[in-house]
Amino acid sequence: MKSIQRGLCALAAVALLGIGAAGSAGAQQPFADVGKQPPITILINSSPWYAGFEKTVELYEKQTGNKVKLDATPYGGMLEKARNAVRGAKSSYDLINLDTQWTIEFYEGGFLVPYKEVDPAFDLPKEVLTYGESGYWNADKRFRSAQGGKLMAWSPNGNVLLYVYRDDLFKAAGLAPPKTWEDVLAACAKLQDPPKMYGSVMRGERGNGIRFDWMYFMLGKGAAVVRDPAGGDYTVTINSPQAKAALDLYLDVAKRCGPPNAGSLGQGDLIQLISTGKAAAGMVVSAAWNNFDDATKSAVVGKVQAVPIPRPADGKPAALLGNWNMAIPKNIPDAQRKAALAFSRWFLTAGAQRVYAEAGAIPVRDDTFRSDLAQNPKYRWMGAYLEMQKYASQELGYAEGAQVEQILGLRLNQALIGEMNSAKALNAAAKEIEELFKKNNRRTGGLTPLPE
Amino acid sequence: MRQSIVVALNRTFKHWSLLPAVVLFVALTIFPIANLVRMSVSTIEFAEGQARWTFTPAHNFSLLLADTVLWPAAVNTLVFVVVAVAVEMALGLGLALLVARLGRGKGLARTIMVLPILVPAVAIGSMWKLMYNYDFGVFNQALTALGMAPVNWLGSTSVALASVILVDIWHWVPFVFLVLFAAVEGVPNDVIEAARIDGATDAQIVRRIMIPLLKPALAIALIFRSILAFKTFDEVFLLTSGGPGTSTELVSVHLYKVFFEENQLGYGALLSLALIAAIVAFLAVSRGALAAGRSA
Repeated sequence: MKSIQRGLCALAAVALLGIGAAGSAGAQQPFADVGKQPPITILINSSPWYAGFEKTVELYEKQTGNKVKLDATPYGGMLEKARNAVRGAKSSYDLINLDTQWTIEFYEGGFLVPYKEVDPAFDLPKEVLTYGESGYWNADKRFRSAQGGKLMAWSPNGNVLLYVYRDDLFKAAGLAPPKTWEDVLAACAKLQDPPKMYGSVMRGERGNGIRFDWMYFMLGKGAAVVRDPAGGDYTVTINSPQAKAALDLYLDVAKRCGPPNAGSLGQGDLIQLISTGKAAAGMVVSAAWNNFDDATKSAVVGKVQAVPIPRPADGKPAALLGNWNMAIPKNIPDAQRKAALAFSRWFLTAGAQRVYAEAGAIPVRDDTFRSDLAQNPKYRWMGAYLEMQKYASQELGYAEGAQVEQILGLRLNQALIGEMNSAKALNAAAKEIEELFKKNNRRTGGLTPLPE
Repeated sequence: MRQSIVVALNRTFKHWSLLPAVVLFVALTIFPIANLVRMSVSTIEFAEGQARWTFTPAHNFSLLLADTVLWPAAVNTLVFVVVAVAVEMALGLGLALLVARLGRGKGLARTIMVLPILVPAVAIGSMWKLMYNYDFGVFNQALTALGMAPVNWLGSTSVALASVILVDIWHWVPFVFLVLFAAVEGVPNDVIEAARIDGATDAQIVRRIMIPLLKPALAIALIFRSILAFKTFDEVFLLTSGGPGTSTELVSVHLYKVFFEENQLGYGALLSLALIAAIVAFLAVSRGALAAGRSA
């Protein structure tokens, strides 16, 4: 009996030790063991966060012994490389990175393999941000949603815009960090001194730039492009009074706070204006943060702070997501698919994400933002970023998204440069978008046009 | 019998020997154009990793008629071609005549003149975009230093197209210069000398002798430049992407957006054919005008 008791005690001790060891290993080694895998090739964009991705991949190679070849490609070449890869007999890439607006073409075209088809046990860790579920595709609804959708991609980068401002200038002028666009306009009244200093800058160039930035105003005013795309109601609501109020507010900020060439400002221009000290504030993509604290590129090192994008005084806080999506092409062998998934699993671990953040990239795990990193002044943008994730959403997540962007990008820009007034621009956009949906047999309709 | 076979082979050999060239021509020229025509009357969608073609000529044509950006783009393209090519021809001819008169340093002048053609279009776009920059560009810095107001080179609808045309002129005047300079150098000196002896002024020599003698070279330069100007894409795309509004949208830039950003392959192909047709029509009119000029 004693021997049985001794045996049970020993077994319990071993079990406890085992649990302790496993727990300790889990805490100390927050990387996944993915075993030996064949070499893989990744199509990746050479965006500002590429250096962080490259460094993290180097660590993956060192830890696992698995080889990864990166094809770093400028933004302009990414889409065609990805299309050529998936439309051919065999893809030369095992993972392709897609801008959020391109994903639908690839999901709908059947060019990608859902992650669960590679490994039915694979799920995104719960800490990983899904960025409005842009990695899921519901083929029946032709809409990106985890509700009835399959996991087609995960995000190696998720951008929201941050409102970056010159802390020194704001303090000197007795201004608090802006919370509303009306605060911004009040700050501009004190700081705007063109061409020496612009109060606040944002993108106005035709296309994705103005469409993306304006949507922060649109969402803040409670307006929408279409009524309920997830529910299949494609009634066009872009010419609602709320949307007009949002456009008028955007135009007001652009004209009273920006430079005379507001209608041609792109992301590069904004970064240049802020980092050279010619703009006191601006809406910039979070991935651009490193430019402001890099002494080799910036005249305002340590002087900028970030807060969430202001809301309209009579509106709500809003944020629009612009993320990248890493997917596995269908036209690669099974072993390559598994190797791609192994890399994905490793990359999304807490350990890898910390390395990724420390190397200057934007992590994609919630717990990385909540870690001790956020207390480090170098990462002082993290608080604003995480705050905005609470209400950030995806727009244009339907099959016609790219064409709707072209329409809005042109009409909004025409309103900004004065070719048409805000009501006419929105009415024109609404008419064109409705025509587009009609041609695609969507359940659509429109609002009564705004008085022009 | 054997002799007759040999004779027959000899007679037809010249035809058979053309076969490789014919095959290459069909594969590289006829087939892509035939495929473009087929695309232009189709809607191409992708599903389950495969392309699905549907025959929809009326649908594609209706897109062409309803395209609100195409018509401003067509007008811009026409303005771009006419203004840019006219200025390039005039400057190219003027420079060719001037350099031809140099006693020394012709080689150096020619080498310097040719430099802009050697610069890649991407570099040209980036370089000029920096120079045109409203806040940091060299043009506005110069204007500000002179006490003048800065110009919104690429952001103003009234200036942007002219700014883009200026870049094209800078890029392509050397091409026209090279073609015409070679032709000017080929004009017999004795003809010029005889005219001088007869008391012709420089202006009369240029108008009455040089230009008529240079007509073939002028026609070649004009045709080449017109074709290339119709197809201009990279400089405009890098400088303005067609904006602000539609003020610098050319058909080629619009075509790129339809084809590559909106992924409308069928309609994009139809736009390509429309652009080809416009170039052919322009060339036919130019040829007719030149022929009329010759006969007059």
